Amino acid sequence: MSRRFPALAIGVAVVIVAVVVLLRLAPGQGSNATTEAGAGPPPSTPWGEPDLQGIWTSDAETPLQRPAKYANREFFTDEERAELDKLRATAIGREADESRRQRGSEQDVGGAYNAAIFTTHKPLGRRTSLIVDPPDGRIPPLTPEAQKKRAAIRDFQLALVQATDLCKNKLPGCEGGKYGPPSPRRAETPPYYLTVGAAGGLGAGGGVINRANGPEDRGLGERCMAAALPDFGGNTGFFLQIVQSPASVSIFYDTGQGQGWERIVPVTSNPHLPSDVRQWWGDSRGRWEGKTLVVDVTNFSPKSYFQGSQENLHLVERWTRLDANRIEYAVTIEDPTTWTRSWTVKQEYNKQNDQANRIYKEPRCHEGNYGLPALLVGARIEEQAFAEKRGPDPATLCTAGCGGFALGFADSGEDSNPLAR
Amino acid sequence: MRHWLRGSNIRLAVAAAAVSAVVSVSVTRTSSQASRPPRTSDGKPNFSGIWQALNEANWDLQAHEARPGAVMQQGVYPYEFARVPAAPVLALGAAAGVPGSIGVVQGDGQIPYTPEAAAIKKENAANWIDRDPELKCYLPGIPRAMYMPYPFQIVQSTNKIQMAYEFTSTARTVHLDTVERPPDDTYMGHSVGRWEGDTLVVDVTGFNGKNWFDRAGNFHSEALHLTERFTPITPDAIRYEVTIEDPKVFTRPWRIAMPLYRRLEPNAQLLEYRCIEFVEEFLYGNLRKQPLVKRWEGETMIVDITRKVPPGDKLHEWYRR
Repeated sequence: MSRRFPALAIGVAVVIVAVVVLLRLAPGQGSNATTEAGAGPPPSTPWGEPDLQGIWTSDAETPLQRPAKYANREFFTDEERAELDKLRATAIGREADESRRQRGSEQDVGGAYNAAIFTTHKPLGRRTSLIVDPPDGRIPPLTPEAQKKRAAIRDFQLALVQATDLCKNKLPGCEGGKYGPPSPRRAETPPYYLTVGAAGGLGAGGGVINRANGPEDRGLGERCMAAALPDFGGNTGFFLQIVQSPASVSIFYDTGQGQGWERIVPVTSNPHLPSDVRQWWGDSRGRWEGKTLVVDVTNFSPKSYFQGSQENLHLVERWTRLDANRIEYAVTIEDPTTWTRSWTVKQEYNKQNDQANRIYKEPRCHEGNYGLPALLVGARIEEQAFAEKRGPDPATLCTAGCGGFALGFADSGEDSNPLAR
Repeated sequence: MRHWLRGSNIRLAVAAAAVSAVVSVSVTRTSSQASRPPRTSDGKPNFSGIWQALNEANWDLQAHEARPGAVMQQGVYPYEFARVPAAPVLALGAAAGVPGSIGVVQGDGQIPYTPEAAAIKKENAANWIDRDPELKCYLPGIPRAMYMPYPFQIVQSTNKIQMAYEFTSTARTVHLDTVERPPDDTYMGHSVGRWEGDTLVVDVTGFNGKNWFDRAGNFHSEALHLTERFTPITPDAIRYEVTIEDPKVFTRPWRIAMPLYRRLEPNAQLLEYRCIEFVEEFLYGNLRKQPLVKRWEGETMIVDITRKVPPGDKLHEWYRR
């Protein structure tokens, strides 16, 4: 009984994260968008610039990288989309016992939140990947330098899970590692400054590493700082509200479950900030090129995180109103210290009903963040219980962040994500 | 030679023109500026730009004298006026004092609290560090976001006016068109605007009652109703007035007013003040495995003060001899 208590505390902590972090609209809710193309020409502002204003979201689900099965095919056929949507709906909706890990296990409890929240119900879009360049729809290879960094981080992550059930049961989160005794590396400072956005860590859990010594060990999502550029809506979708004046474009990002933020793109020929001024969301400079707002973003912080790229990230975004109901967003992503070449992502946004005003303009994840302190408290309780010989070695536990169930799918088998098989 | 002369004449003429331009600009701005605020293409006063209040309202809306510390303790004398800075700010010396203010509360300068609310305000002030939502980096609410010591930006369109605040990168949208209300109450309120001549009038409701007005513990409930009025004074200044109503806390409506000034730096822009990260130690430091602040006694952080007399300080060299 006493052995169970710490694990229970962590379980409660995770559930609290679930309750606290979430107060947003489900993707598509309140969406009165007409998604068909050609519903009127792209409008202009009264001062004669292309008009990007309104509330926008992406109505379609599209994987960032192209699944291997569809290599070198930019679009799904309509039949494929219908079939895949059917498969996805069945797998998600089933909640069959065989798709869950053993009830009450660490992975079951730790993954419950992800299973409920990071589950997409959006229909599949036409594109097989958001990445349109390189033509294979995949993120380009890492530079040798970035490979080394990634391997060092992965080694450290694996060292911290090697004594847990994740490795004992050979679950995907342990890929590349093997089961063993607690690692002395648990006491080390990570080899790099680690920040990871939201889900997608070990076993698609929330933590950066399997440890909760302090806030820095946890994912940015748990710290209510998951909002990053570029943002494709992640697993939960997002809403954008754009308001324009002649010299500035305001974009409010309702993203990451109450972790939204206000972005101003100055439309100016002023140079970027001095290179020693670094910001989480970089420094944006916009200009109009015909119908397109082109935004150059530099000056990212070493704490910024996008797919492994940090302070050397450079974005060139292109925002184009295609017609009354659609914006095309294209972004070229470059970081010669991380990738061997630049890559480009394209996404389409659909206009939402202005009057319904379904956008959550209140990024108050932080104000209600009982989840993060609860995770820390849970870890302290576990340590104390172990010290008093009432509980297991915390190094053998992975209660918060090793759950799996990303996007509501099982890791493998017929309830896994059909796009990932 | 003639070329040079002509060139220098031109330079002189350009210089003279520049001087007269400066003079005429300054004359224009002092004589007829009120009638000539910048306008949008639809003829409304154009408030787009980066603005900031230049006053002490965020310290205390009411008139007050300067104090030696934002947090105080009893000094050698037992009088209220003889208090000295307390530990949390002591090491910051003159940088941690509170500047005096003529106040922004209109009329008699009093905030008409009910007796119960007045007692809460007093308690708030005594427990500032523990209670002020600003210290926790919470969403600042309206009107406080308008006069915090950070710039904010107005992006003025036809149907929407976006106000973007540097503090914690938050924002509000002033809706000039009809929209449905948000489904829940909020920190930043729900703002609905209309034009009355050259004045933008904004009605703000839908608060959750968790914000303060300032660092002095002035507060409100979820019944807060604001009527804000933005009126151009010059191209670079706005008169900002707010009528504050909250029958749960105040016995009558009351008003604050202040100018908002344009940030005139040609390269002015909003930067990040992402304080969620800044306050992690403040909020969660006691939950670390190995605390960075060395002295947590249970849930109380004891701040150790460090002020080392620098080597070479003449007085102390002499004293040590």
